[in-house]
Formats: sequence, C-alpha cells, structure tokens
Amino acid sequence: MKRFVGNFQPLFAAGILLVVLLLPLLGLTPNVIRILFITFVWITASLAWNLLGGVAGQVSFGFAVFYGLGAYAAALMINAGVNPALSFVGSAAVAALASFLIGIPTFRLRGPYFAIATIGVSEAVRVVMNNISAVGGAGGLRVTERGIFRQTEHYYAGLAIAVLAVCVSLLVERSKFGLALRAIRQDEDAAADVGINPFRCKLWIHAIAAALTGVAGGVFADYAAYIHPQGVFAFSTSVTILLMPVIGGIGTIWGAVLGAAVVTIVEEQLVAVFPQVHLLLYGLLLMLIVLLEPDGLVGLLRRILRRMHVDPSSRGPDKALWGRGRLEGREL
Amino acid sequence: MTAVDFLNLLIAAVLLAGIYAVMSVGMTVIYGVMKIVNLAHAGFMMLGAYFAYELFERFHVDPLIGATLALPAFFLFGMAVHWLLIRRLPKSDQPTLSSLLLMFAFWLVLQNVGYLFWGNMDRSIFTPRTLKVLTLGPISISLLRLIVFFAAVLCVCALQLALSRSWYGRAMRALIQNPYAAQITGVDDERIARITFGLGTAFAGFAGALLAMLYSFSPDFGRPFLIRAFVIIVLGGLESVSGVAFGALVLALVETFSILYVPAGYQPAISFGLLVVVLLVFPRGIGGLLERKWRPA
Amino acid sequence: MAALKDVSFSVPERHIFGIIGPNGAGKSTLFAVISGAIRASQGRVRFRGSDVTRLRSDALVHFGIARTHQIVRPFRAMTVLENVLVAVHYGRQSAKADAKAQAISALERVQLAPKARMLASALSLGEQKRLEVARALATNPDLLLLDEVCGGLSGAETRAMLALFEQIRASGTTILYVEHDMKAVMSVCDRIAVLDFGRKLAEGTPAEIQNDPAVIDAYLGSGMLGTNSIA
Repeated sequence: MKRFVGNFQPLFAAGILLVVLLLPLLGLTPNVIRILFITFVWITASLAWNLLGGVAGQVSFGFAVFYGLGAYAAALMINAGVNPALSFVGSAAVAALASFLIGIPTFRLRGPYFAIATIGVSEAVRVVMNNISAVGGAGGLRVTERGIFRQTEHYYAGLAIAVLAVCVSLLVERSKFGLALRAIRQDEDAAADVGINPFRCKLWIHAIAAALTGVAGGVFADYAAYIHPQGVFAFSTSVTILLMPVIGGIGTIWGAVLGAAVVTIVEEQLVAVFPQVHLLLYGLLLMLIVLLEPDGLVGLLRRILRRMHVDPSSRGPDKALWGRGRLEGREL
Repeated sequence: MTAVDFLNLLIAAVLLAGIYAVMSVGMTVIYGVMKIVNLAHAGFMMLGAYFAYELFERFHVDPLIGATLALPAFFLFGMAVHWLLIRRLPKSDQPTLSSLLLMFAFWLVLQNVGYLFWGNMDRSIFTPRTLKVLTLGPISISLLRLIVFFAAVLCVCALQLALSRSWYGRAMRALIQNPYAAQITGVDDERIARITFGLGTAFAGFAGALLAMLYSFSPDFGRPFLIRAFVIIVLGGLESVSGVAFGALVLALVETFSILYVPAGYQPAISFGLLVVVLLVFPRGIGGLLERKWRPA
Repeated sequence: MAALKDVSFSVPERHIFGIIGPNGAGKSTLFAVISGAIRASQGRVRFRGSDVTRLRSDALVHFGIARTHQIVRPFRAMTVLENVLVAVHYGRQSAKADAKAQAISALERVQLAPKARMLASALSLGEQKRLEVARALATNPDLLLLDEVCGGLSGAETRAMLALFEQIRASGTTILYVEHDMKAVMSVCDRIAVLDFGRKLAEGTPAEIQNDPAVIDAYLGSGMLGTNSIA
C-alpha cells in the first residue's frame, strides 16, 4: 500500500517552521544559535541561486558579487545611521541593479560560457572592491554596532529572510513565469518559438535571485560587524552558494534548503577538524552527484522512499518541493 | 610615448600572446571535439607549474626541459582522467551542465591536492635566465619571455601541423564538423575523445610549466588564466587554432597597453572588461558561439 | 554557392501553401530564413504588409506566426498540458477566459487531451509531433509554419495530421507547409512551390505542378510523382 508523502509536505514544513521559531527560547548554546543563523543566511542564498540555476537553468559561478554588494550596501547604510531593515532593502536594490548590469552582456552567452563569464565578473568585482579605499579597500569595512549584541535578533532576521526566500521560490514555481523559466532551461530556442523572450526572463529572475542574495549578505554584514572583499566577494563564497542547491537537489526547494543545512554544518564542523580537505570533499561529492545521482540528496531520498514503497510524488502543483530538476545531458 | 616605448610594449604584447595562445589551445581542442568546457584546465595548468617546479628543485632539471617533459606526462595523465571519469558523462552534441560541474568538481579536487602537497605559499622558479635581458639597440626584451614565446609558438604550430596532416587530425576535424556523420564513417569517437583530452591536458600542463617560469604560483594559480583563456576563445572562436592565436594577440595587446592607462590594482580585471566590451559591441559574438549553441561547420 | 537564389512567392491567407523539392533543394534553408533562424543576405519576408525579416521567434509569435520543428523539440521534463499551457501564456492572448481551458482545447484539436498529464518525453514520436502542432496553435497564430511534420509518421498518422491541417485552415489560420513527402503535399495543399538547387522551379495548384514539365524533369525517375512517395 502506497502512502503519499506529498500530502504531508506542507504540514511537515509548518512543523519545522514552528520548531525553528521556538528554538531560541529553549536555551540553546550561543554557538548553536550562531550556526543556525548562518544556516538561515545560506538557505536564503541557496534558494536564490536555485531560482536562476535550478529553475531557469543558468548556472552562475558569480553570486558572491550580489552577496558582497548586499553586505557592503547594508554596512554603509547602517554606518550612516539608517534603520537596518531599510538597509536590507537597500542591499536588495543594489544587488538587483548589479544583476542587470551583469546580465545584459553575459546573458548573450549560453550555458557554460555564461558560467565562465560569471567567474570573470566575480573576480573583476573583487579586484575593484579591493581597490576602492572609500569603502575600506582590502582592509575591509567595520559595521557600527547598534547597541549591545543581541543574538536572537539576528537569528530571527535570518529566519525571516529564509522564509521570505522560500515564499518567493514557491511563488515563482507556481506562476506562469516559473513555467516559462523551466521552458527556457530545457530548450531556450523552443521557448522563444512559443513567444517567450528568454533574455528578458533571464534578466528578471537574475534580479530576483540577486536581490535575495543581497539581502542575505546584508543580514550577514549586520551580524558580522566586519566585512572584507576576501571574504564576501571570494570565489569560494560563490562556490559555496552554488554547491548548496546542487548537493541538496538542483531545481527543488527542499533540495536548496537541505543542501544549505548540510553544507553549513559541514563547513562549521570541518573547518575545525579537517581544514585541509574541504575542497576535496566538495569536489568528490559534486563528482558523485554528477555521475551517480544528479538530483542530489533529494534524489537519494526519493530513491530510498521508493524502496520503502512510499510514493514520494506530490499531489497538486507541489512539484517545486520534490521537483523535477535534472542534470540531464540535453539541458544546458 | 616614444616610438621606442611603443615598440617595447608591442614586443612584450606579442611575447605574451604566444603564451596565452598555447594556454588556450588545450581548452579549444577539448571543446571542439567533446563539447566539454574544461574548467579543470586551470587545475592542469597549476599541476604543470608544480611539475616543472619539482623537477627543477629536486633534480635541477631546466624548466624548459621540464615543460617539454610535461607534454607526454600530462598527455598520459589526461588520457587516464578521461578513462576514469570523463567517458562516464552522458554524451551530447552540446555542452552540458553535467560536464561543466564535473570538470569544476575535478578542478576543486586538483586544487586541494595542490594545497595538500605544496601548501598555499607562493612558489617560483628562479634560474640565471630569469633576469637576463636582450638588448637590440634601444629595445630590451626579457630573454626568458622570448624563449617561452618560441617554445609556445613551436608547440602551437606543431599542433596545427598535426591536426592538418595526421589521421587523428582528420578524424578530429570530422568529429568537430559533424559528429553523426563521422561516427557513421567509422571514426571511433571514444578513442578520439580520449586522445583529444590527453592532448588538451598535455597543452595545459605545458602551458602551466612555461607560465611557472614567468610568474609565481600557488594552487589557486589557474583561475585568472582560465578567465583569460575563455576571453581568448570568445574573441577568436572556439574551433580553430588560428582563431585562438588571434584572440590571444588581441588580449595580450589590450593587457599590455592598458598599463599606460589603468592603475596597477585594477589590472587583473582587464580581461573581463575586454570580454564585456566585446559582448556589447559584437552582440552576436565573434566566435559565433554566443547566439547559437552549436555552430555547424 | 548560394543556398537560395531569387526565391519569391506569396502565400494567400487561409490557404495551405506547400513547399517541396528534392533533398538539398533549399527547403530547410528557406524555412530557416522565414522563421528567423538564419539571416538572408538579400530579400525580405513580409507578413500582412509588415517587414518581419529580421525578427526573432518570440517577436514573430506576437505577429501571429508560429512554427513547428522538423526534429521535435518538446519540453521533455514538462507535462503535455504544461507544454501547451506555456504557449498559451506567452503567445498571442485572444482575450478569452481560462488559460488552462485554452490549453485543453488546443490538445483536443490534436487528440492529445487524454494524455495531458503525461510527461512529454513519454509520448511516441507521432504524438510529439502532434504536441508541437498543438503548442504552435496555442499561441493563437494567423500563420502556421510547418517543417516536415510528416517525417517518420505511419500512414494512418499522416492521414490524421493532414486532416488536422484542413481543420486548421477551416478555422481561419494560414499554413505554410515545407515537406518532403510529395504525396502528403499534393493531397492537402491549395498551392505549391517547387524548389530545386535553391531556385523556384514552379508554382501553382497541385494539378499544375504535376503536369509541369520542369518539375517532372527534376523528379524524373525518382518515382516521387503520383502515388508513390519516398519518405
């Protein structure tokens, strides 16, 4: 007898949300709260990347640009006395604007060429930011502390943007825009043949993804109180943002969330114990995923559930959650 | 700017173009035949640099010889990598996300291997040749760069010759132009692919070894060169050696002469700036790869 | 050597206009030029008085020109319904109500409605070709460009497809039909243009074409005229 997991997903998600909302009240150590906060920030960035890379199929190796710009925008605004929440809006705006400037030339490129171009953008921006002394240059930027450090405030800010990212992702997936993006991912030319303007759609989803990533950067900057180009604009930051949804399950919301959680925990624990091999681990993991289970952890879970005779398919339009994103041969 | 200065810069640019060309040709060859964008190219270049370094430090082998030895060594290495990993990728006549991510993952692995063996300190190869300068009247040329240039040009010409004369070259061109027809006429695409990947890796290793003579390096060494290789490919087209030479020359000229106008700190971003300008001015792209995924010959 | 030279013709509205020719005649090139995939060095494509030569596919759709593909290109990871739905959303809106209803009705025209919830990749080739037609129709076109739609179809499937074309014409849409299958073209088209070596050999009704000496010459011995078809 098959049981449909799909029906339980909204309940499951609500349950997790409730637990997470109440966690700080349970007296957890500050370190755990810190890790959860980082997880929320990464979940936001992961879901954002997934919108462009998973749903629309445009793989970007340059999301650190938006993260960094968001961080710097928020830092500068907070230093100038602007309300933090408003600063985060500023982060989103700056990142979105940058995404247009970047997208207009680079979206003329297809697939892997676009991906490599984004590596170049990332590097170029990092170099430029290193040289602008007005924002601290290579030395970085201090963010003014706003009174005493209240960890739970940051925790809930992180949670809020993570929830926002999930909502945006759900909205996109269920809209006709989402349908168009999926069409673009599968066959850009055929998508144009039915009246979709791929260039314009790519620019818009890029902006949405960039804005979310920028907000994540901003929230992080507020927490970290010090940011520098080698950190927020680093290529490794772009890599982390890309790895999360791919490991978790590209194209799916659960995948992006799961991947972010896994990567954060691995990063936090691994950096302590085995700092030497974390690139190796990511590399091997990514290779295994590409060759054996392109749907990432979510794909693995689906296989396990099928073995247990539980049907993982969802009723209704919940494809976003389990999703059908695939790293197929034809889909770049 | 005097004529002498101009000439000096011009010569420097041409010498640089040589090394850029040999650096990009490996990526071009792999892409043309297998439609794989080889991000691990950066990793192979890095290993090539360390290969020459180790031979030099341990066995006092002249880095030029080291570079030459890199060719067969990395050719075999490339074929091994292909046999182990690459051939398991789903085949396609277009670049795929899987191949992109696989090569990227392999690059991460190579980088980490680099960090494990050599740490993250910058290394360099320093020979008596490194500082020698040739003077022809008012013009001064770094001897090392001149040697590297000739090595690079020799290699690229040898490749061009091999491609136009050998059975492998013919098979390769057939596969580039029309993979389906080529297979029907009996071209063993897997064998050709393996040889091609070996060739591309060999050139990456060779280029890395040459670059090691000119610059200091660390395991992260490949990335700026990867970006340059990409810019060159976009400029010159992805499917011909002469296209690569053209692209290499343009990039080298822009980079060299930009020293006059752009502050040193911004230098690394030049290659990307050039890419953006090219994309804006030639929206359909010079290489023809921009608007269309796959260009029939 | 030019792929096409001095090829000129007009497609009257509400007609099914066929383009045929031996392999290499330039049919695919002509189709690519009309649908905007290739740029011609000379010449214009005009639609109801407007010059649409340089327009890309999505712009053409908004003019009312939709196309199918010779090698089918469905959105494989999407359902049959979703394939058509996206065309309804992004095609030319006809100001009717529900997008889903429009999509279903397009599917009904090609008899694919029962398979609406299947993944496009699970369809047979014939079904995928019908899906392409449905998808093109869902954009609400005034002109439908068909690219060798009958290739690989069985006799029964071909007959069904041709009947569909007549229905489409009856509903007011013009069809430009590039095809290799001579028999199909002769049976359904109102007018035909014949290409050979990149030039227009003849143009006229099926009867005129069949009796045209130049056409017979080009196809001599290939058995393509009359009741035998090569495809």
